[in-house]
Formats: sequence, structure tokens, C-alpha cells
Amino acid sequence: MAMPLLPDRPGGGNVLPRLAGTSRSDIVAWKDAGMAILEVRNLRARYTVSGPEILKGISFNVEADDFFAIIGPSGAGKSTLIRCINRLVEPTAGEILFFDREITKLPRRELRLLRRDIGMIFQEFNLIDRMSVMDNVLSGRLGYTGTLRSLFRLFPREDIQRALELLDRVGLIDHVDKRADALSGGQRQRVGIARALMQDPKLLLVDEPTSALDPKISREVMALIKQMANEFKVPCLCNIHDVQLAMEFCNKTIGLQDGIKMFDGPTETMNKGNLEKIYAMEVL
Amino acid sequence: MNRPPQSPLVTPAGPSACHWSRFKFPDSLIRYASWISVLVFLTYTVEYLDIPLDRLLGMFGRMGTTLSTRYYPPDIGYTLDVGYLSYVVDTIHMAFLGAIFGLIASIPLAWFGSFNMSPSRRWLYPIARLITMSCRAVHEMIWAILFVAILGFGMLPGVLALTFFCTGFAGKLFAEEIEAIDVGPVEAMRASGANQLQVMAFGVFPQVRVAFTGIAIYTWDVAFRAATVVGFFGAGGMGWYLKRNILQVETERVAAILLSIIILVLISEIASAWARAKVMKMN
Repeated sequence: MAMPLLPDRPGGGNVLPRLAGTSRSDIVAWKDAGMAILEVRNLRARYTVSGPEILKGISFNVEADDFFAIIGPSGAGKSTLIRCINRLVEPTAGEILFFDREITKLPRRELRLLRRDIGMIFQEFNLIDRMSVMDNVLSGRLGYTGTLRSLFRLFPREDIQRALELLDRVGLIDHVDKRADALSGGQRQRVGIARALMQDPKLLLVDEPTSALDPKISREVMALIKQMANEFKVPCLCNIHDVQLAMEFCNKTIGLQDGIKMFDGPTETMNKGNLEKIYAMEVL
Repeated sequence: MNRPPQSPLVTPAGPSACHWSRFKFPDSLIRYASWISVLVFLTYTVEYLDIPLDRLLGMFGRMGTTLSTRYYPPDIGYTLDVGYLSYVVDTIHMAFLGAIFGLIASIPLAWFGSFNMSPSRRWLYPIARLITMSCRAVHEMIWAILFVAILGFGMLPGVLALTFFCTGFAGKLFAEEIEAIDVGPVEAMRASGANQLQVMAFGVFPQVRVAFTGIAIYTWDVAFRAATVVGFFGAGGMGWYLKRNILQVETERVAAILLSIIILVLISEIASAWARAKVMKMN
């Protein structure tokens, strides 16, 4: 399924051909060129025409080795922001450039190809409870699998091999055939991580991965995500309301408040003053 | 930076805090008025139809006499006749076919007609809803009459009538089941680049599979109950026997036929309840 070559970067320079999806080598090339993998420009979103604007012109860049934290109070628009990037929520205005490709206007079919390249990890895990751990992980390959094959769950042998490897990496190799609803919260999130990595993603969207977990498991899960992101060289964009965790695991931070970006920078430059601004109150 | 003054979490109770009623003014009036109007309409209906309430009381005595003199003893031997039994077998087959065809038709209708999962809310959703509702709007007996008029006597109009009935019946229940799913897995499948059919197969179907099986069994049960009567209009099955004997005022045979219908429907209902309980346990 050939897709048209995309126009070169407006500023000239890089001339990488971009075919269906993005290849692993693109990340390296982008990194070497010091360019942002994801550029969000003046993004706006609202759920209903007359409803309140949830995102009020957000801009930021994500580079190849970034592990971004998005922090902010409840209702600041963190989840909406992350869902705009793979268009589970349609932005109302602004641009999102993924490997220099404008994605807010992609037609349905190309949107599906784009989504294959963006893994997502969810707050409530969003596993298919009545399927086995294996089938849940394999479902991460749906975008790559033909409809008929997938209806009969005939995934290619190499996908099954990859699923087994990933399950081994997240420490669930003994639970392959268990039903997803038989696992504990931490284990379920590990299945979610393996499923996202099954896609061979070029970007990971992580939506409050630890809110449903206790503090100890939260730390383990964050460490696992961080480790996997490093290993698979995937940049991450992680919504998180636990500021401690954000400061511990993320190299850059965006602070959102009421749909407006209040902070954007390396995590270590964030201080008490910034936090007070983001949360509009005394923190700590 | 200047912070806005923090508002206290609990505002001190004002004078209005002492007055509380569960139903506030416009609501309370509407509730009261609707109860009154239902009662008024009830009395009006009884008056309008001129129902002699005193005769209702005497009804049970007369009914007992009629049953004991005319319908008792039921002619059980008649219902054990090979001719009648072959019609019972026909009825069972007819109900099964009608239920299967109806279920097959209702699955895509339920998908297109569920608001959350419909591939097109503007076109497919209303069309699918309209088809399902039309199937339900027409009573199964009317479907039978209609198809007998078009196709003539026999099993085919009966099967078609049951198919339409089951399509409406199962289509609505299936769609409601799809509308009640957790959208989390659906979102996850979409986010991974799955197409609509894959989202249905992985995100939706596992969640509704058990409920669908239960509904399918229930549909068969209801189809069988309907199948016992569609023959009354010539659409095949044991209903034809019922009609013939009623017209011939063979009351003891009618009693036996009614008894056989009641027993068969009871058996199918018990079997379906048992099977559904089994299925639910597999959840």
C-alpha cells in the first residue's frame, strides 16, 4: 500500500522519503538531525461546538530521546491533549507534525496506518478481559494484520514470537494463557505495556499509567515503561498527576492548567514556583 | 505571583438551608398532576368502554362451568396422533429456522444500530434502527397473515414471519447490549490502528459474547412460542390444527391442543432458562 511521498521539510534540508508509516531508522535519522519527532503547534480542542475549550493553543516539541511528563490538575486537559495526538479526540485547530507529517487532516485509512506507529498505555489498562494475556498482547498487531486473519486470530508466527519475548521482558511469561481479568492491577498494566510495544511504536502515549495502582507498583510500572522506552528507543509522552513520579522518571515536563501551557522545560528546572503556578495553589 | 483568594470549602449555611423538600416546586406539581391524570383517564376508560364491573365478578363461576362441561376431559389421544405430532415436529423446525435466520440478520443490524459503535451515525444508524423497529412494530401474527397472503399456505411464510419477528426481537436486545459495553478496550483497539471489523471482533465481541448467547437462546424460545400459533393463519405448524378444531367446535380436542402447547412452551422455557444459566456461568 504505497502512500504518496510527503513534501520535504519546509525549511529545506532533510530529504527522507516517508512511505507508509515510519521506520525504525527514521527515529535515528531524526535524532541525528536533532529534529523533533512530534511537533504540536497551537493545538486547540473542544468536545462540543458550544462547549468549553479544553485545549487553548498548546505548542511543544518531542525529540527522539524524550520522556515527557504532562502534569497539571484534574480537568486541565492532559488526557485530551494526549488523545489529540492519535486523534482519539479530534482537535479543532492547530497542527500536529509527526515525523514532519501533518496528521490532523489524515483520512481514515491513513489515520489507521499512523496509529500503528503510536503506542498507547491507558489508565484503566483497557485490556480485553475475556481474552488471554497472549491474545491481548497480539491485539497490538491488529493494524498490521489482515482482517480475515485477525478474525480467526491467525497471527503470524513472528508476531507470536515477539509477543512471547515481550511478555518475558515484562515478567509475565508464566501467565501467557491466563485470562486478562485473572491478573492483578500491576500485571494488567504490564500486559498493556507489552501490547503497546507489540506495535513497534515510534512514539508512546501514556495516559496516567499509575493512577489505578498503589505507590509501590506505580514506581515499578513507571520504571518498566522508562526502561522499555530506553531499550526500544521510543520517545514517550506521559500524563501523570503524581509530581514526585514525574520528577523521578521524566526528563522534560509540560505543566498544563485549564488548557494552557504554564511550563515547558527540562524537569530539573522545575521548581516550587512553577508548581504553584500550574496547580494555582501551595504545593508541598 | 498573586494567587486568587482561596474560597472556603464549606460555605456557611444560609437561612435557606433549613427548608428542604425532595421535590421542588415545578417538579412536585408535575408529579402530582401526572398521577391525577392517570387516575382520571382510568375511570374515563372504564366508563367509555362501558365495562360492567359487576359481571366481572360472576365471570369465574361461568368460566368454570364452561370448562368443565365442554372442554373436559381433553381428548389427549387426539394429540398423540401421528398427524398432529408431525405438525409439532414441523413447528419445532420452523421455530429453529426462523430464529437462526433472524439472529443472522440481527447481528449486523445491531452493530449498525448501536449508537456507540455504528460505522455511520448519520446514515447506517437510523436505517438499521428503522428496520429493527419496523420488524418489532408489526406483530408476529400480522407478519404471518401478510406472508400467507403473499406466498400462500405452508412453512415458508411461517419461517419468514418468525425471521422478521426474531430480527426485531434480537436486533433490539443485541444493540442494547453493544451500547452498554465498556469503551476502554474499543479505544485501545482503535489506538492500535485496528479497522472497524477488527475493533468489533476484539474490542466489542468478547464483551457481549455471553450476553449474545443468552439472547440467542431466549430468541429461539420466544420464536417457538410464536411458532405454535402462526399456523392459525395457515403459516405452517400446529396452529392449523387449533384453528380447524375451533371452527369445528371440537372443544375437547381444542383443550388437548391448548394443553399440548402449554406443555411444549413450558418445556422450551425451562430448557432455555437452564441453558442460559449454564452460559452465564461460563462468563
